[in-house]
Amino acid sequence: MRWLALVAAVLAAFIAAIVLGPAHLPPSELLRSPIVWDLRLPRALLAVLVGGSLGVAGASLQSLVRNPLADPFLLGLSGGAGLGAVLAIALHLGGPWALPLAAFLGALVALGLVFRLGLVGGAELDPRILLLGGVAVGAFTGAITTAIVSLAEASELRNAYLWLWGGLSNASWATVRLIALYVPIPLFLLLTAARPLDLLVLGDESARYLGVEVGGTKRRVYLAASLLTAAAVSVSGVIGFVGLIVPHLGRGLLGTRHRALLPASFLIGGTLLALADTLARVAVAPREVPVGIVTALLGVPLFVLLLRRWSAA
Amino acid sequence: MIIDLRDIWYRYAGAPAEALRGVSIGIAGGELVALLGPNGSGKTTLVRIALGLYAPRSGEAAILGRAARSWSRRELARVVAVVAQREDNLFPQRVRETVRLGRYPHLGPWTREQEQDRQTVRRALERCDVSGLADRWLWTLSGGEYQRVRIARALAQDPRLLVLDEPTASLDLRHEMELFQLVRRLVDHEGLGVLLVTHDVNLASRFADRVVLLSDGAQVAAGPPGEVLRRETAERVFGWPVAISTFEDRPQLTPLRQDR
Amino acid sequence: MRRSLSRTHVAGLALAFVAGGCRPSTNRAPEAPPPARRVVSLAPSITELLFALGAGAQLVGRTTYCAYPPAALAVPGVGDGLNPNVEAIAARTPDLVVLYRSPHTETAARQLGSLGIATLVVHHDRLEDIATTARQLGQATGHADAGSAIARQIDSALAAPPRPGPHARVAHVVWDNPPIVIGGGSYLDQLTHLAGAGNVFHDIATPSATVSIETIAARDPDWIAVLRETADPSPPDYAQRPEWRVVRAVREGRFLFLPAELFGQPSARAPEAVAYLRRVLDRFPLPPPAPQ
Repeated sequence: MRWLALVAAVLAAFIAAIVLGPAHLPPSELLRSPIVWDLRLPRALLAVLVGGSLGVAGASLQSLVRNPLADPFLLGLSGGAGLGAVLAIALHLGGPWALPLAAFLGALVALGLVFRLGLVGGAELDPRILLLGGVAVGAFTGAITTAIVSLAEASELRNAYLWLWGGLSNASWATVRLIALYVPIPLFLLLTAARPLDLLVLGDESARYLGVEVGGTKRRVYLAASLLTAAAVSVSGVIGFVGLIVPHLGRGLLGTRHRALLPASFLIGGTLLALADTLARVAVAPREVPVGIVTALLGVPLFVLLLRRWSAA
Repeated sequence: MIIDLRDIWYRYAGAPAEALRGVSIGIAGGELVALLGPNGSGKTTLVRIALGLYAPRSGEAAILGRAARSWSRRELARVVAVVAQREDNLFPQRVRETVRLGRYPHLGPWTREQEQDRQTVRRALERCDVSGLADRWLWTLSGGEYQRVRIARALAQDPRLLVLDEPTASLDLRHEMELFQLVRRLVDHEGLGVLLVTHDVNLASRFADRVVLLSDGAQVAAGPPGEVLRRETAERVFGWPVAISTFEDRPQLTPLRQDR
Repeated sequence: MRRSLSRTHVAGLALAFVAGGCRPSTNRAPEAPPPARRVVSLAPSITELLFALGAGAQLVGRTTYCAYPPAALAVPGVGDGLNPNVEAIAARTPDLVVLYRSPHTETAARQLGSLGIATLVVHHDRLEDIATTARQLGQATGHADAGSAIARQIDSALAAPPRPGPHARVAHVVWDNPPIVIGGGSYLDQLTHLAGAGNVFHDIATPSATVSIETIAARDPDWIAVLRETADPSPPDYAQRPEWRVVRAVREGRFLFLPAELFGQPSARAPEAVAYLRRVLDRFPLPPPAPQ
């Protein structure tokens, strides 16, 4: 069955992430090595959690804004997170959690701004205003971030950009615990909205006549998907293409019903990111490629394949 | 009486004139009521108020005896099914999947579909004569087939009342006749109530039990087609000279040429 | 006999006079251009070098990042060095602008040239480049001897025979998230080698690279070298994080703190930097080999 295949894929990607790496460890060493327990294991878990979250967020958002090209990072969250991170570095805030926390708060502020903009069109979050608002907030925060980085004297700020490009390099057990506790809540919210989402793709009016409280559902979905994305960006920067491609792969495999699509998107997203991260670590060892580049290199050909299937249909 | 609207007045915020001035309409099971009138006469507004989307400024709007505004959308979707004018399906879907969506008002977020739900879907497909299309992709259907599929989905909701908003707007003659005949069958054999908003005065005249004629937000006439569709009334409302003839005991309007 | 100077004679004399002046005289040696009196430096390493050459008094403009030596702070700033502000530079009326080579600065050099300002684009990423630049700048500012002296110092430091082993193994960690280390293409790698140690990431050809913590742990350096602006001896923030403590040197607190003003850029003080590094390495013994 297809579900078995998906679960097997996630497990396979997870195991690969633990077994493979730039440090050559003989198989007998694997179970005892601190590299595996303290570095590869939390990193692999984080990859699955973050990739899965981005996949689910992407699927929900594509249905919410009725646009198959929507990506969670279109909502301006990454701009807010980047600004938060850069401010944390510029203000020399200490502690290992300063950066992710500042990024998360920055993302929340961006979320609030775009949400407020979206409400301008009425309580029902016009998707076009959401998208345009996201682009505007993203550009605005991006400009402020660039200004701070270019005008500031500390060389550390230039390295802040590298963080934004995306990576799981600071994965730790503490991060994994935090994300693992946080993520189920928005995931659960989105799952309860699975049936209304099926109806929302017919259009607001038809959805309403089929029993959906359109305004409330849209707000719930937007907030939950944004909270997932904000958490992802805070711990791993901007990893593109996952939120965009994974829902389409999910639809191709399991159809458009969200009760299946959302969990499938989680599994596919987790697989994709775990694989991409392994490749990022291993492909040009000892150097590491930013994982966002690998997801793009993997994702774009997949996307082109999907486009060809669509236009052929 | 499933839908009962009495003396409805409504004005859109910021609009100079009333959209509805004292309109009343009632629809019971087993009858087909057609809502007619030129563009801007208030037909859509009336339907929205009937479905509880807007609150009337004065007058009462009730569904099954309760205020229309007091119904939750889910409750209402189990009683009234609406086939709106436009629908915009975003992702490719098969016929069976889209008809299945009609069961959602009866399913909670965690309940799974039962055999009974699948049966209802099957019957809905049969009643609309689209069982053979069940596995086809929606985009491969003709306009007429797609409309019948949408009606099948509405029937899957197991409603007592069906509201159809300009269902034949872009259909050709054959598909238009098929649709009107299907709707009439549903009323006669299944006891459904139907509120049909349409521009096609002549077909409405032949198929409807009652007709409500609106003009500029006011109710000009209501009753059997023979009483409502008289020459002076039609000319006043539609602003064009017509000739009335009779076909199958129902009045038929023929607009006269003004260019000779 | 009276000779009258006819007009033709005068013209001929005048012509000979002028022509004599225009003809390339093969007898005289070509004149060197006069030393630059008003120099603008567009990189901290260039500023430092100018002061080392004794040309500090001729400096009329520096970048906002040029902070060494302290005397440089008295010189007016002209903005960023890698993305030069041509107007601000021109406002200092320099007769020589020294730029560090990059795509932006090539453009700025052309713009300055079209304003009639002489430019010198130098390229120094490695220690041997310092020698070349020292000679060039020495010539240009009238301190040719100082330039040659510095160049000779650097050349002899580079030519010094390697110290006998065992060699301490060092990793220079520049940033933690993502982890960035110094590779074989950097002058820091050269300094490390000259000090008798080895850069564990010498095999990476570029000056710096992103790696995973895992790689650092696997290569197990004896020391983690960190550049510090202040004399603060506390370990960097990331040393507390469990994922970094997989690296033995982090766990055992084996950090080398190198003064940023000495190690932060390639400079004429390279021999001094090498000596510093040697002293620090000699003071602390190598750690015992990792348990198997």
